Amino acid sequence: MLNNILMLLTVILCVLSPLLSVCQVPLAEGKSVQQTIDILHKKLEQLGAVKQGNFTVDCETYHATGNASGQPTKLLYVMHNSETPLSCLALFEGGPCLTADGNFDVLMIKLKSHFQNAKGHKVESRGSRYRYCDFLIKVGAVTMSSSARGISVEVEYCPCVVPGDCWNLMKEFMQSFLGPSIPELPSVFATKPEGLYVPADCVDTMTQYLELFSKVRKQQVLPGTTR
Amino acid sequence: MTVFMRRSSQRAEKMADAMNVGVNLEAFSQAISAIQALRSSVTRVFDSLKDGMKNKETLEGREKVFITEFQDNLQSVNRDLNELERLSTLVGRPSESHPLHNSGLLSLDPVQDKTPLYSQLLQAYKWSNKLQYHAGLASSLLNQQSLKRSANQMGASAKRRPKVQPSTLVLPPQYVDDVISRIGRMFPDMSIELFRPNGTSAVLLVTLGKVLKTIVVMRSLFIDRTIVRGFNENVYSEDGKLDIWSKSNYQVFQKVTDHATTALLHYQLPQMPDVVVRSFMTWLRSYIKLFQTPCQRCGKFLQEGLPPTWRDFRTLEAFHDTCRQ
Repeated sequence: MLNNILMLLTVILCVLSPLLSVCQVPLAEGKSVQQTIDILHKKLEQLGAVKQGNFTVDCETYHATGNASGQPTKLLYVMHNSETPLSCLALFEGGPCLTADGNFDVLMIKLKSHFQNAKGHKVESRGSRYRYCDFLIKVGAVTMSSSARGISVEVEYCPCVVPGDCWNLMKEFMQSFLGPSIPELPSVFATKPEGLYVPADCVDTMTQYLELFSKVRKQQVLPGTTR
Repeated sequence: MTVFMRRSSQRAEKMADAMNVGVNLEAFSQAISAIQALRSSVTRVFDSLKDGMKNKETLEGREKVFITEFQDNLQSVNRDLNELERLSTLVGRPSESHPLHNSGLLSLDPVQDKTPLYSQLLQAYKWSNKLQYHAGLASSLLNQQSLKRSANQMGASAKRRPKVQPSTLVLPPQYVDDVISRIGRMFPDMSIELFRPNGTSAVLLVTLGKVLKTIVVMRSLFIDRTIVRGFNENVYSEDGKLDIWSKSNYQVFQKVTDHATTALLHYQLPQMPDVVVRSFMTWLRSYIKLFQTPCQRCGKFLQEGLPPTWRDFRTLEAFHDTCRQ
């Protein structure tokens, strides 16, 4: 379940779980987000992939109150992934992270006095899930407060546990349906002491999604993409 | 009556076919028509009796006519009967050696379409004869090349030679343990654990780096069966024992399992099974770079979504399954 790659296109962000990197992949000319997604689906189906349902990844932002003035507010992100429906992940950007069960959301409501939910900043990616041989491909539309911001593509090579071993293999696969513009190795591994040769886990995937969503938040709204 | 005669003649012909003509068909059909003639003359006798005396002027005249007619009819019956007897001697006996013996009598069942027992029986016998013949041919061809992996000598020569003990099949478990641990020490990135869950047969759990786990079922020092699964897959079943039956969830490791089975059949040396195990482990170790090596033939990593899973038995080069020819 490791070694996923997420890619957000449109300008796109690619999330390679556990690899995440940003690369500029231009949208097909004159096509909207939905049309580009349809093009990708068609390419995948031509390859021989089989649709296996839908997926959702979302991220909510909480401001930590009670900080001493002058210090930047710490942001807590709570993320959910339909791949692990019974858990949720809470993390500070670049900081510690916690894997908890579904009741953590209720706990956050109870902690309203310490953490305030920034409702307008919820980012989510929704779309279809494809299976091709041992690969799992998720193509979703990234939306922030119901405006489409881009496309995320996640590619996972299930049998392999160590990202460094299969990076070239995954690059070849992505080239077959995404074309020549492929993201670089995600930075999440550069920070680890052993680098690429340590088994990846789902925290790495979610870290990549978080980076992606942060980039989306900083981006301007694309003209003509509000739904 | 003629309808009945026709049906019985059809049946008789079928029986004749089955019973491998020791029967004179010509005489047979003549005999059947003789039966028909006999029956009609007998009917005439009874008809004339039923009709009684015809109307004539005098009583004597009537009686005379009646008696003459009656005698004529009886004589024709006699003639026909003699004819039939003559023909029946010509018909001959059905051949004794008909292949189905009593089951051939099943052909007399008139309802062919509802219970086609006889025709099915014939087909079954023909099929089994053909099977026996082909099996004989196959065994003579296969015996030309010895496929025995063990040094067990069996056969007709056992009487002349002194009884050869199947030495390599009965090895002390300690020896097997020693051989396996020596091989395990040979390769630093491969760890071998030995279990004996069922009796004296060893079951090895080979972990290759962080790539795969293999379960190898042995019979003394011969490799019997192998199953390959991913590094993150569970090797134990629910009751805590080694799961030696379920296939991997990933297609790539299912393919590697097939290749490993081919390998264990390929490496054969009946007198030196420890060399065989060492060769097999060397071959298996080449999978440490399963996901990193491109195919030697086409240069690509993926073919139909699979990495190069075949390892050549001599050179240990990586090929896709479809590229190896």
